[in-house]
Amino acid sequence: MTISNATLDAFIDDHLNEQETIKVEKAVRESPELQALLSSIIASRDMGDHSIGAIWRREHLSCPTREELSSYKEEALDPQRIDYIKFHLETVGCKACKANLSDLNCTKGSLKNADAHEKHRQFLENSKILLPKKQ
Amino acid sequence: MVSLDENMLVKKIQEGDQLAWSDLVLRYEGRLTNYAQGKIKDHASCQDIVQESFLGFLAKINNFDASRSVQSYLFGILSNKITDLLRRLGRSRAIETPVDSSGNHKVSPFIDPAMGASTWYRGDEKKKLENDALIKCLGLLINQFVQKKDYLKLKSIELIFVNGLSNLEAANILSIDNKTVASHRHYANNFIIDNLKKMNLSPSVFPHLSEQDQNS
Repeated sequence: MTISNATLDAFIDDHLNEQETIKVEKAVRESPELQALLSSIIASRDMGDHSIGAIWRREHLSCPTREELSSYKEEALDPQRIDYIKFHLETVGCKACKANLSDLNCTKGSLKNADAHEKHRQFLENSKILLPKKQ
Repeated sequence: MVSLDENMLVKKIQEGDQLAWSDLVLRYEGRLTNYAQGKIKDHASCQDIVQESFLGFLAKINNFDASRSVQSYLFGILSNKITDLLRRLGRSRAIETPVDSSGNHKVSPFIDPAMGASTWYRGDEKKKLENDALIKCLGLLINQFVQKKDYLKLKSIELIFVNGLSNLEAANILSIDNKTVASHRHYANNFIIDNLKKMNLSPSVFPHLSEQDQNS
């Protein structure tokens, strides 16, 4: 695996799969040059600079919509689009889309038990006081 | 792409509408919790951190940039909170600034001159403008591929830009030759440069876009 700026950039965004992450972590620990490069990338980000990859990942520019993911689940899309979404999920490994798809597969989302449901209700109630005041 | 529905929802929350707030939380809670569970196994901690993300969103609701997608914005807040949590728990990865033998943080004196596909762009007061322009260029590029069903090009440049792979690595995954991936990359770089020019932005904002073509 070639470790370029772009690879480190994806690593910082936690976008690599588990195997790639382990490889990059090991390489960074063993190489002072990679450590320096990684710290320079982080410093650049702290100054507000972003790479094309970081912007693409952050803005989810190629992610299918929620509706498309729902249709993907039902295989109700053009075969080429289905093939691309499968690639986006499995090869690119988009964690946001995986989370979305997993949510679509759950009938009641994250509210799996009564405690969680109550906590959710309390959160909604308590957070309402932080809403902007109506004009 | 931001839906009008989503913008209306945010507008209503900005006006203090409680039902709109409940609707937004219900709409995004499941996907955010699933995302958090991919990184934090404890369900209660996941729920807490998702709720903190919603509060972070609410705290800045009046400054929300309507051109951004609510989902991307929320995932961004959540991702930062997860990183903070993992650092607090001592489970951060090797991404901190390296320290020398005395324990002092070392500051890198250089930025690698051999930039990869994820090209850095420079700017000061124009950063926001440049950032928005790049989002627009990339959006146009992706949309063009999707409209033309040119998914092979989209896959190539996604592997290069998003996953940070080399041309050869992308070619191996896609079972195509290296030169084809290089031509896809060249096409994407030129597309971005041309569109930046159309927006009256200098391609010098991304000085490595043309260099990497020559080097790839």
